[in-house]
Amino acid sequence: MTTDWISIPLVALPLVSSIAILAFVAYASPAARDRMGPSIRMATLLFSLLMLALTTAMFLGNEFIEGTKDWASLSFGSFNYEFRYVWIESLGIHWSVGMDALSFPMVWLTTFLLPVTIVATWNEKNAAVYFPLVLMMGGALIGVFVALDLFMFYVFWELTLIPMFFLILKWGGYDRKYASQKFFIYTFTASVIMLLGLVTVYFLQPENLSYAGAWTGRTFDIPTLTAHAQAANAGGAWFLGESLQKILFVMLMIGFLVKLPSVPFHTWLPDAHVQAPTGGSMLLAGVMLKMGAYGMFRLPLAFFPHAAEHFQFALLALGMISLVWGAVVCLGQTNLKKMVAYSSVSHMGVILIGIATMQPLGWAAALFMMFAHGIISPMLFAVCGAFKHHYHSMEIGAMRGMAKHSPWLATSMMFGWMASLGLPLLAGFVAELMMFLALWHFIAAEGWSVLWMVGPAFVLAITAAYYLWSMQRTIFEGGDETQPPESLKGQPVPDIGDAEKLAMVIMAAFTILFGVMPWIALDMMNGWTVAFFETLLIPILTGGA
Amino acid sequence: MERIEPFGEGFVLALAPEFVLVIGLFTLMIVPNMGDAKFRIPLTQIRVPWLLGGRRGKLDSDPRLPGLFATVFFTIAFGLTAMSFVNGMIKTQIVTPGGTVMLQIDEFSRMFELIFFGALALASAASVNRIPATSRADRSLNGLYNNRRQVDFYILLITTGLGMAVVALAQDLFMLFIGLELASFSTYVLVSFMKESKEGTEAGMKYFIVGSVASGVGLYGLSLLYLWSGSLQFADLSVAFAENGMEALPLIALGMLLVGFGFKVSAAPFHFAAPDAYAGATAPVAGVLATASKAMGVLGLLRILLVVASPEATDGSAVWLVALGVLSVITMTWGNLAALGSTNPKRMLAYSSVAHAGYMLAAITAIGALNWEDGHIDMSNDAALVVVTALIFHLTVLVCFKLGAFLVLSLLESEKGGHTLESLGGLAKRDPFLAVAMFIFMMSLAGVPPLSGFVSKLLVIMGIVKVALLDVTVNSDLVFSDIHWVWYLALLMVINSAISVFYYLRVGLVMYFHEPEEGREGPLPKGTPVRFAIIACLITTIYFGVGAGQLIALCESAANALVGAW
Repeated sequence: MTTDWISIPLVALPLVSSIAILAFVAYASPAARDRMGPSIRMATLLFSLLMLALTTAMFLGNEFIEGTKDWASLSFGSFNYEFRYVWIESLGIHWSVGMDALSFPMVWLTTFLLPVTIVATWNEKNAAVYFPLVLMMGGALIGVFVALDLFMFYVFWELTLIPMFFLILKWGGYDRKYASQKFFIYTFTASVIMLLGLVTVYFLQPENLSYAGAWTGRTFDIPTLTAHAQAANAGGAWFLGESLQKILFVMLMIGFLVKLPSVPFHTWLPDAHVQAPTGGSMLLAGVMLKMGAYGMFRLPLAFFPHAAEHFQFALLALGMISLVWGAVVCLGQTNLKKMVAYSSVSHMGVILIGIATMQPLGWAAALFMMFAHGIISPMLFAVCGAFKHHYHSMEIGAMRGMAKHSPWLATSMMFGWMASLGLPLLAGFVAELMMFLALWHFIAAEGWSVLWMVGPAFVLAITAAYYLWSMQRTIFEGGDETQPPESLKGQPVPDIGDAEKLAMVIMAAFTILFGVMPWIALDMMNGWTVAFFETLLIPILTGGA
Repeated sequence: MERIEPFGEGFVLALAPEFVLVIGLFTLMIVPNMGDAKFRIPLTQIRVPWLLGGRRGKLDSDPRLPGLFATVFFTIAFGLTAMSFVNGMIKTQIVTPGGTVMLQIDEFSRMFELIFFGALALASAASVNRIPATSRADRSLNGLYNNRRQVDFYILLITTGLGMAVVALAQDLFMLFIGLELASFSTYVLVSFMKESKEGTEAGMKYFIVGSVASGVGLYGLSLLYLWSGSLQFADLSVAFAENGMEALPLIALGMLLVGFGFKVSAAPFHFAAPDAYAGATAPVAGVLATASKAMGVLGLLRILLVVASPEATDGSAVWLVALGVLSVITMTWGNLAALGSTNPKRMLAYSSVAHAGYMLAAITAIGALNWEDGHIDMSNDAALVVVTALIFHLTVLVCFKLGAFLVLSLLESEKGGHTLESLGGLAKRDPFLAVAMFIFMMSLAGVPPLSGFVSKLLVIMGIVKVALLDVTVNSDLVFSDIHWVWYLALLMVINSAISVFYYLRVGLVMYFHEPEEGREGPLPKGTPVRFAIIACLITTIYFGVGAGQLIALCESAANALVGAW
């Protein structure tokens, strides 16, 4: 049996089922909607677990799904489960999907986070609409990662905005109206600029590449375009010429840098995170930010390596500024969730630095950071959500001596904070260590002063400082331990519920797993990076030598 | 190409959809007046049943009848037009014995008729709820008012449709203008139809004055063209323009015609009446203005700019290139900025319609930028085909989502809302289906995938970019300045559509975030026909986005009929 269709249900199942449920719910009376809530929640959990089972089977490879090529040794430009169906023939638009070691970890991560998010926010209000939206979000995200067609990529890229917009708008905090608008407009603006760049690339390709449209003679196929760009870039020539390549690189990067986000395009992120509900934050930080980094690897870096090399220092500077700025701003935050949001900006800086080093090690670090941050940051937001849920406040210091009142929450918080600041044996450490090594290589190769390492190293100290300090002020510092915080208004102090505990344990377990045995995921990322460098970057950037 | 004389053999069959409308027109005039009147032959006692007048029957005098008839006739006309595509279009010309080509039936004209009849069918279905008819027994003031004017309203809708059909078919500038005026005058009355309200009268007045001035200027341009060439046939004009189109007289005439059609597409600076007209008219009529009437204007522009003042007539690019480019930039930016500040959803949609007019003008500008020298013609033809297809696609799907948005507003108008953004408040709670539909229409207007609005915007951008890159040889010596400046129109377009998201999203925010206004907590009026129309709009909005292929193919055949005829 051929298995090339296997990635279709990954996209279709969540999208179709969630839209069907939402259409059904729209016609129900409010009372019936409340009654249906638990069963809909159960159904979405079931769907997401099915998807997780499927991706895990893909991960385990050939024994479970026939015809799966080994992820780590996929050659560059070949994909697992490639499937192609003509969508709009005249323009050369195909429903074209496939996964390689760049996209697969992200797909697995999405399917991992979906059930975890559903469990962690088990008691969210208006369940009949909330859980289908979460599922829809998952489907759209997977769509972005598996798409091998520019049109399809863009469609799913924008589609992710709509469920997230509603998640923030309907379940968000006090300023959700402003935050959801800002989020939508910011990322949409960046995306349409990217779209114009993509259309320009589309018409600058020669006619009649494979899968070209019957009418325009051009193709939207990403692998075909990559191969063509590779040939055109070879031997030191610039695909599309120097000035145009630079401009198109910038246009595409604007779309991805805003999504990532990098300073100075990051201001939508803290607002969106602080106002988003827990589930929205978990998916936003866990997967949606990674779409930016994923897109960079998939399109501009593959199409325009010369321009990437040209803008290397600009990217490095952006990464450094994001890293340092994010960390410094964290120090001043009094809002727990805002602090975590800015720490995300800081971590995205790590990814950008990894990319900017233009070395296999740095790229593998970036890829692993995408993955590790995708497991750790949802845990941080789950902790923030639980904190808000149980203590009715997000202020650091509103609740002191949490270790006594709610030991489970305190433990989860401590674990998450430690993982995020890069404690060895946890997943985040691996990525940060690799990034530092790559940066060190880079600085040595450029012959720069060692002092350039001081900034990033200093950030480690700052990160430790803000995390430890916030922990001190929430978990430990007792004062009068018999006095619960004012925001509870005299009610007894609860600990987190069973569902939340389960979610925390799962996320913690996987943080440890990928910290102790990073090679489970790192092998395929290394394989992809090395293949990318060997087949694409090195021949091009060294002029074929 | 078949040639038929007026009322010759096959004439009625060839123009079947239009004749259906004519029959509809007479039916609407006659049927409500049918009664038991008898005619006594003079000097005898023989009474012959005459049927017109007298005591009217129960069935034929029902005020609900005209709305039903109009919807049915529009639907039949739409169906017949669609049928003509099925087994390949039979291209037909209606030629007078003197050899003047009056009308031409091809894919292009039929495609536009589909747009017109579709929009009018939806609008007339929605108007059944907007200007509700009750039974004749209703003696309340509103009831009397509305029952009496049913026939007038639908007769005017049908004449609008007829006028638009003539515009689509016309092969002669004079025919085109007659159709344009027939449609325009009908819409002037339709806009001011709610004469009991202040806004309705004001809207009608403004729309009429500005519209008739624009028509007058256009007509003057027409007469100048006739003075210059001695013929108003497109074919003759095109030849004459190719020979000596750079003289002052035809250029002035062209500019004046641009004014006339610029008003119809509500391009800046001729758009000032549009927001007032949309706000004062009933929502379905405003929807017709924003979709069908605008399509008519674009059709006129395409005929004038591309067929008459054909770009190849001049060296390199068209004479009107820069003028139209500037106009398009002003139009899209002005429309979007003005829409940002409007709090009346109908005014907002009007300004968004101005912005869309800017996008379409940008696309037409791109065609003008093509290079028609020898050796380029094939390439330029291809590129022009892409742009015209994009335009037709855009106009077609505009009927789905822009008209759909107006129809949602028309339901709100039935409860005296729809004039402020706040009256949309809490729609998500009051009627989740309508809120979802409205949100999808807004997202489609903003161009969010996978909706049809995205595909249409993508096609227009693709068309412009294709033209901009046509003369570029791709090699590593390529520099950015090689790209034709129309590329910047595409850039402005994406920036503008980013701005537009702001006000489209605001509608969503109000629906989902704000509480209902006081006195509006209950469910909305039922209105089966308008809801059916909204569902039709919703399904097509989504379908033409996800499965755009078929519609693109259809639009391409239509574009081919225009471009191929150059």
